[in-house]
Amino acid sequence: MREITDAIKNEIKDMVIDYYAEECEVDKSEITMDTNPTEDLGSDSLMFVELIEMTADKYDLDIKLQSIGKYMLKTPMDTMADVLDMFYKIYQYGNDVVNQ
Amino acid sequence: MYNRAFLFNGIGSKPEKLLAQLTPEMTDKYESYRAEAFTRLGLDMDMEKNTGYSAQAAEWMVPFLCDRVVYEYFIDKGIIPDIGAGYSSGIVSASACFGSIKHTDAHDIVMTHLSMFRGLQEKGIKLNMGIVIGFPYDDLKELLSGKFNSDELIIGSSNSSFHNMISGKAEAVEKAIELCISEGAIKAFPMNTGTAFHHPLMEQYSQEYIGLCRNLDYKEPKYPLISVFDQTVLQTVDEVKKENLHNVCTPMRWDLALKKLEELGVKQFFDVSANGAIKKFSRVGRKCKVYTLEDVINGDYTL
Repeated sequence: MREITDAIKNEIKDMVIDYYAEECEVDKSEITMDTNPTEDLGSDSLMFVELIEMTADKYDLDIKLQSIGKYMLKTPMDTMADVLDMFYKIYQYGNDVVNQ
Repeated sequence: MYNRAFLFNGIGSKPEKLLAQLTPEMTDKYESYRAEAFTRLGLDMDMEKNTGYSAQAAEWMVPFLCDRVVYEYFIDKGIIPDIGAGYSSGIVSASACFGSIKHTDAHDIVMTHLSMFRGLQEKGIKLNMGIVIGFPYDDLKELLSGKFNSDELIIGSSNSSFHNMISGKAEAVEKAIELCISEGAIKAFPMNTGTAFHHPLMEQYSQEYIGLCRNLDYKEPKYPLISVFDQTVLQTVDEVKKENLHNVCTPMRWDLALKKLEELGVKQFFDVSANGAIKKFSRVGRKCKVYTLEDVINGDYTL
């Protein structure tokens, strides 16, 4: 398991929020932890994959999309808090995210 | 040898999403082309007044008309392609914009899709297509190969390392989607097309399309195209004709076509779809970039 610090968590949070704000053309201040990325922001799965690719590049992660897909079967991404929690876990556990 | 490639999407996006991206000048041009095409095809200019197959035809015409407007906008801006590629019906759009067939020919091809659709419905043949996001082509092929035979289901296109389109009998598509979701697809969903484009079984229902494509008066394209079927460079009348003839019943490898373009030296890709639909599902190397209409309008691309 890779250790995640508060600084990394904040960095990931900023990256994710900035990404959704830009892609969905909304102000950052409109995105809260309760925001539903799909229903409230109109994001789609292709945006989500792009965000995963960006994160993997930034943190040099070797992550298979299927691992994330299986994780999402157990834990739907209903809110921004769910999305961030998943990205923290991807950073920590990589492909083992599915078992978290 | 090649630096700049134009990518054509053709049918696929919702009209409102395409039209929202056009500038007022582009919208005027679009409306002029639409009036010309709709009058010739007997479609009502009021989209709401077209019903049944006419409504479908009217909706399918929009991306073709938008592609033409965006293509001409790029050309007017001095953005000239060295080569192009068409994704599915984007092959028809590319053939028309590159001058290999007339725009009216492209519109007639769209109308043959409707007769194909009508034939399938009348015979009660249930076909469908679906999108699977999250699997590389080889992994998806392996996952599906043990469960479905190729008469039932194939991968109709591999679009990128994570994006595939499946095509075949409706029941098989439905089962494949369930399977993919349970095996970790980020998303998998049916397209509810009523057809199975890019599956060989479509050949028997596409005789009108094939007949029309065979008899069109093709010209050499102003710029070459890359085949999405075998990744060869298409420059002659016969080669463009063959690409159009293969279109409906042959699986595509969009991912390999883009890779081939990169190998040929392409660094700048231009998404000719008004809403940047191609950019969303395509992936190119780090040294390359896909520009959209929005990028060009906003000045994010300079010659």
